[in-house]
Amino acid sequence: MTFPLIHVPVLGDGMTIALNAVLHVLISHGVAIGMTILIVIFQNLGATGRGSFWEETARTLLKPVVIVTTSVGAVTGVGIWFITGILAPEGIGSLIHLFFWPWFIEWWAFTTEVVLLLIYYFLWDRLAQRRPRLLMALGWGYVAVALSSAVLISGILGFMLTPDGWPSGGTFTQAYFNPTFVPQFMLRISAGIALGALLILGWTGWRFKGTANERGRVLRLTGLVMLAAMASTAVFAWIYFSRIPETYLTHWKFAVATSVWSQVPNLLPVLNGVAVACLALAALAGLLRQRRTAMLLFVPALILAVGMVAEFERVREFVRGPYLLPGYMYANQTRMVRQEAALQQVRPLLATLDWVNTTTDKAPAAQAGRALFDANCGVCHSIGGINDITVRLQGRTLESVNALTSITESMVPFMPPFNGTEEERLTMSTYLYSMANKNTLPRPQLQGEVK
Amino acid sequence: MAPWKDLFLALPLPEIWLRILLFVTFGLHLLFVLLMLGTAMLGFTYFLKDCCSGNRVEMGWSQRMVKSHLGLKSLAVVLGVGPLLIIQVIYSLGFFTATGLQAFTWLSVIPLLILAFLAIELFEHKMLSRPWLPFISGVIGLGALLTVPAIFTGALSLMERPGEWPGFAAKAMAPGSIYLPHWLFRYLHVLGAAIVFGAAFHLFFTAGQDTEKRARLRAWLFGGVLFQVAVGVPLLFTVANVFNWTVLAAVTLGSAAAMAMAWALRPAPVMTLTDGSIRGGRALLLLLPVVFVSMLAARQSLQDATLMTLHKQARTALAQESADLGRFQKPALDAFRLKLATVYDNGATIYAKSCQPCHGVGGLGDGPAATRLLVRAEDIAAVRADRDYVRQIVLAGWPGSGMPYFTVFDKDKIDSLLDQLNTTFTMFGPTTVPKRAVGQQARDLWKNTCATCHGATGQPSAFGLTLRPAPPDLSRFSLEPERSLQIITEGYPGTVMQPYRALPEATRRDLVAIAANLRR
Repeated sequence: MTFPLIHVPVLGDGMTIALNAVLHVLISHGVAIGMTILIVIFQNLGATGRGSFWEETARTLLKPVVIVTTSVGAVTGVGIWFITGILAPEGIGSLIHLFFWPWFIEWWAFTTEVVLLLIYYFLWDRLAQRRPRLLMALGWGYVAVALSSAVLISGILGFMLTPDGWPSGGTFTQAYFNPTFVPQFMLRISAGIALGALLILGWTGWRFKGTANERGRVLRLTGLVMLAAMASTAVFAWIYFSRIPETYLTHWKFAVATSVWSQVPNLLPVLNGVAVACLALAALAGLLRQRRTAMLLFVPALILAVGMVAEFERVREFVRGPYLLPGYMYANQTRMVRQEAALQQVRPLLATLDWVNTTTDKAPAAQAGRALFDANCGVCHSIGGINDITVRLQGRTLESVNALTSITESMVPFMPPFNGTEEERLTMSTYLYSMANKNTLPRPQLQGEVK
Repeated sequence: MAPWKDLFLALPLPEIWLRILLFVTFGLHLLFVLLMLGTAMLGFTYFLKDCCSGNRVEMGWSQRMVKSHLGLKSLAVVLGVGPLLIIQVIYSLGFFTATGLQAFTWLSVIPLLILAFLAIELFEHKMLSRPWLPFISGVIGLGALLTVPAIFTGALSLMERPGEWPGFAAKAMAPGSIYLPHWLFRYLHVLGAAIVFGAAFHLFFTAGQDTEKRARLRAWLFGGVLFQVAVGVPLLFTVANVFNWTVLAAVTLGSAAAMAMAWALRPAPVMTLTDGSIRGGRALLLLLPVVFVSMLAARQSLQDATLMTLHKQARTALAQESADLGRFQKPALDAFRLKLATVYDNGATIYAKSCQPCHGVGGLGDGPAATRLLVRAEDIAAVRADRDYVRQIVLAGWPGSGMPYFTVFDKDKIDSLLDQLNTTFTMFGPTTVPKRAVGQQARDLWKNTCATCHGATGQPSAFGLTLRPAPPDLSRFSLEPERSLQIITEGYPGTVMQPYRALPEATRRDLVAIAANLRR
């Protein structure tokens, strides 16, 4: 079954998914879980007589939370599906067939979550005065469902990285209850609470309307929650990463820092250290009721927190290379059995590509070359965009391009092997060589020039 | 579940149950989509009318109406996940092909929905303040919102017409084809249904006891039903080729119910029932679900008529391929286990995996992949060079030759690779300088011939740097004397370094000594 192969020009496939996914994670973890838990706690404090400002704060924060989660959070969540359905139909299609039931159950959890959030929001004014206990129950009901939704999806996300026994046994339980199942959802929930607390900390510093004492109390509680959640995040991150196969994990620096910056060895540890310190200081400032310090630290802390979320997702996505589904499918959606068959027999790839895009290139050989590139390399490399293959191959001769494409899997640990016949590989290499050398004129070469 | 072969063959439920499940979940999704669209359209229309007449009291009601959009749209989005999931399982081939062929239109749903939802929130929030802001946000929000069903109906229409796929792939949407009119009428049908369901929803839930509002909403409902009939008839003609008895029965039932509804809603002098109930309300509550379910059944039946046949064929082909590939499963798993056991954090592994294919186990440049190269892979066992210079070559590659760049490894890994190179080949050891008195002839030769490219001091000349591959920097890079002699004698195939075997051996050996002495 071969579906149309679409690759996003300029931005590239990975960046398209990343932009959508990181936005979704920030909202689903930070806002839908983190901020809402604090809102429910605030409402509880107000309802149990610790001061009406708790409830007022919660009510003010709830409206943007509802709007952002239901408008941006929910749409980007479905968006991940839309994007992967276009860019990797074989991959997401396989996952959906294998994980139909968790996905289906998660759908109901998701629906219940939204319904409870809407009820919580729309009935707040009616219940807050008359039946505060019912409102408390509604809030905790929402939190319980939101957390279970995070738990349900973690089995699927974890499988993509730690295929403990799955390829051999091939059972659903091996795939779903993989070694990172528990640490991953605990990590996501803790980090979400920390992020949500940070957002509320910033809001309290900048926008809180109440007495200084009330503000101080909100700051103190928020800072405390943030510190606790950060500690828990650190513990579960450590457990999580210790359970990922080492062969994948050693690429994390390259995954985040890319070619040039991965040559500066301490860059990432230092950056991460600064980020954690900045977040911890912001939380501490809240705990100590230091409004101005919290306000000052909020913006850099938020930027660094977004960076860390992006870093985590990037590492999680990248380090499972060269596989899309380890032990089953390569990153370019070629199933491993098909690759093995192609190794042992002549199995042309072009004949199986039903939807070759004929609009970009006119010459038949170029069309074939482009189609083979799209099928084999297009998921990570682009022509003229991010991770541009023409830049990567500039200056190489045709026969060396052809030699390199024959050893991709061995040469670079996260590259899949070429799928197709020797003749097809030469067609692709010729196409890539001609694209890479389209505008090359002989010019003095400078020593140490890094391409 | 049976062990994996091809995951696309793994069905969570028998097909018939999946189809029933799709019917229910799609119905739920569509209901809220229609309510959301209807609310946005009616809300904006009322806003325009109230705004032009400057009626702020009425506007408060419009705002209440649009307020419900938040809940309706949230449910519409979340309920869409279920049918999406099931469609991807039972119509894999059709779904992924149709959306793939319309990829960028399909992807634009994400930003369009976010824009629409946020703009409509702003529209609602600012409705009672200055008129231009809600007007602009309303136009943007409604415009974006109404584009989305056009994309969805476009994708579904394409999914149900495999015959149109090649045309789409070739980007040749033939205007004469049945696809465009079908899409247009289908889209209009969705908009009409949105008016009907939106108006009915607000008639019961937000109009309250206000008779004038009820009359206005009833008028919308009546007009909507008539519009549906007008659009429905040509829409039926566009699907005539896959018509079957189930579809016919469902459409007849739905149309009869719609007619009965129109009769119940027929324009009459505004009359109020004293008990506050809605005139024709009971008929509406009974007939609307009948219309909805029968139209949905017709839709699903039409979809299944083509897609289930197609899908069965695809599954059969897939099962055959899977059986054929079964014997490769074991070697595939073995390859995976081997990969999983290979940790790329030490020089030995990196050399074995990344360098060895060309440079060979002994570093002689005789790896299996090197046979493909015109410029032979260097005999790195003979290299004696500066560590930083070699790092530079490993990182940047050697343009004009087959040597690729290896910035795919971070600095720590490159360091461990360099350590390994030194351990195995003493690559960073001192240059072996032959002990001999160099004759004048060789000195002149170096100055007049070799220095053209290599430079007088061993640093490549400006001309040398234009070469691909360029000569190495001999002030930082040297080779063992025997390898140097071999290159001087035989040349370096594939580069401009030509053979100088005509020179007397003593001169060639002198040149070897000069080259060796150049390294700082």
